[in-house]
Amino acid sequence: MANYGMALDYKNCINCKACEVACKEENGVELGAEKHRIWVGGNEPDGIWPLLNIASAAFMPSQCQHCENAPCEEVCPTHATYYDDNGVVRVDADKCILCSYCMNACPYDARYVDSRTMTVDKCNFCSETRLARGETTTACQNTCPTKVRIFGDLDDPNSEISVLLRTREHFTLKTHLGTKPKLFYML
Amino acid sequence: MEQTVKKFSIKEIKEFIASIPYNKITIKDILSFEKTKENKILAGVIALLLGLFIMGVLMYLLHGHHAYNVTREHPWGLLIAVYIFFVVSSTGLCIVGSLGDVFGFKDYMLISKRAIFGSIVTILSGFAVIAFEIGHPVTMLIYNIVSPGLRSAIWWMGTLYGLYLTFMIIEFMFLLKNDMKNARTFGLIGLLVGLAAHSNLGGVFGFLNARTISNGVFYPTYFILTAFITGIFIAFIMMGFRYKLNFTKEVQVMLSNLAKIQGLLISILIFFVTWKMLTDIYGGMENRSGVAIHILGSWTFWAEVILAMLIPIYIILKSKGDDTKKLFYASLGGMVGIFFMRYNLVHDTQLKPLQMMKTEQYQLAPQWVHYFPSAAEIMISLGGLGICLALYYVGTKLFNLDSDTHH
Repeated sequence: MANYGMALDYKNCINCKACEVACKEENGVELGAEKHRIWVGGNEPDGIWPLLNIASAAFMPSQCQHCENAPCEEVCPTHATYYDDNGVVRVDADKCILCSYCMNACPYDARYVDSRTMTVDKCNFCSETRLARGETTTACQNTCPTKVRIFGDLDDPNSEISVLLRTREHFTLKTHLGTKPKLFYML
Repeated sequence: MEQTVKKFSIKEIKEFIASIPYNKITIKDILSFEKTKENKILAGVIALLLGLFIMGVLMYLLHGHHAYNVTREHPWGLLIAVYIFFVVSSTGLCIVGSLGDVFGFKDYMLISKRAIFGSIVTILSGFAVIAFEIGHPVTMLIYNIVSPGLRSAIWWMGTLYGLYLTFMIIEFMFLLKNDMKNARTFGLIGLLVGLAAHSNLGGVFGFLNARTISNGVFYPTYFILTAFITGIFIAFIMMGFRYKLNFTKEVQVMLSNLAKIQGLLISILIFFVTWKMLTDIYGGMENRSGVAIHILGSWTFWAEVILAMLIPIYIILKSKGDDTKKLFYASLGGMVGIFFMRYNLVHDTQLKPLQMMKTEQYQLAPQWVHYFPSAAEIMISLGGLGICLALYYVGTKLFNLDSDTHH
């Protein structure tokens, strides 16, 4: 029993997309599927040459935010979306009826339809693969060359992520919606 | 002892069903209608619509959801809009039908049986359409009961609509038997369950905090209001066809009264929509004003406003509700407007891309999500209309839908 979350030291991201590849390999995401479970976003730098705002062009890795108050879990009519014992928001494909309400309700656009099973899927922090095998890291974290991702138990005060969140400023996405995301972006 | 009770009750139910008056008809009876040019065209159109439904379903069975143009960014498409169109119609007809047999307004008893039958037919058509939108309808039937998501508005909406259909059927059976006391009881329960179901459908959109344009109390209340308006539009259409626009005095009085109610309801709707737009645009809520301004610039919004609001209210005000023939035609246009109202509702809530930071480098993120229904979606939707018209036609042959007190 844990309460898993992830911190993203996003300014270290070099957009190599190794995390997307590792995620696909580990979790059997469809071949050719782009930006499904996780993705790296980037923006054009703001401003006009030579006064470009370099800071605005940071790469932003993202994925399901594993919210504590997940709108997708709330709207699911069959409990196909649920919180597991580790606080991870999961999807039980057997119960999914593909009403797509969760896709509409997720403020983070983190859900997609797996065209093989025709059910909604999303990141589950490798719960069915690495965590199920007893490992304590996710594929994206494990492969990241610049150590952007720090995954761990938020309830353990001595875990790396807990220490990091105590010692560094961070923010969450769309905080005003009250979803309490468990993906933290480090400043 | 228990077995005796069970046998007795089953026997009673069988006797009850056997005592429901209906006309014994054959396929030949269904195909025999007055062979006027208009009737032949209408029959041809219904056959065509049913054919489109079969083709659309075949495309769906061959390609699954890939036959639809719904995407990750726009997961709800035309079929959801058409489902809402039909269930709104059903709730509206239930309200119109209840005026007479539940609330006891005698003038409206004329239409009670026809309206309640219409409410059954429309919701069945809605279910026929949604069955091909829900990815796994059988799984839904199982897990809706085994693993109910009680915090989900969709669960409440679906479950309550199932109950509503049951009560409507029971009410209709009592109406056929002219058992007004029981019809009133089941009609009242059906109406309340229907209103609860329908406001929950509004809640499906109202609970979305990701979509600021639809979040809040507006849609649950607006759905009930527009259901009543839709019910009156369909009442005009049904009575117009029934009497071929040569209304008897009683029908004329009833339609004229319904027109006056319609005038009030459309006025309230215009007031509601105006304030919704004003608060959307000037309310200062993140991402909302841009979407509202975008809606104002779409022709489908103006189709909704002109056909479902401005034309009918103009005719009602000009004739004080007495020009029922013009209102029949305005109601036909009104239903087209109501269709756009439902389509806009579904499409507009998904207009604003949620894509957080999934923007491509050196490529601007799209400002709006685009969607246009696929051929399969259009065919199944038109087919839903065909099912509705065909079922209604068979119903007019099978049952006496006129008021017993009137004829």
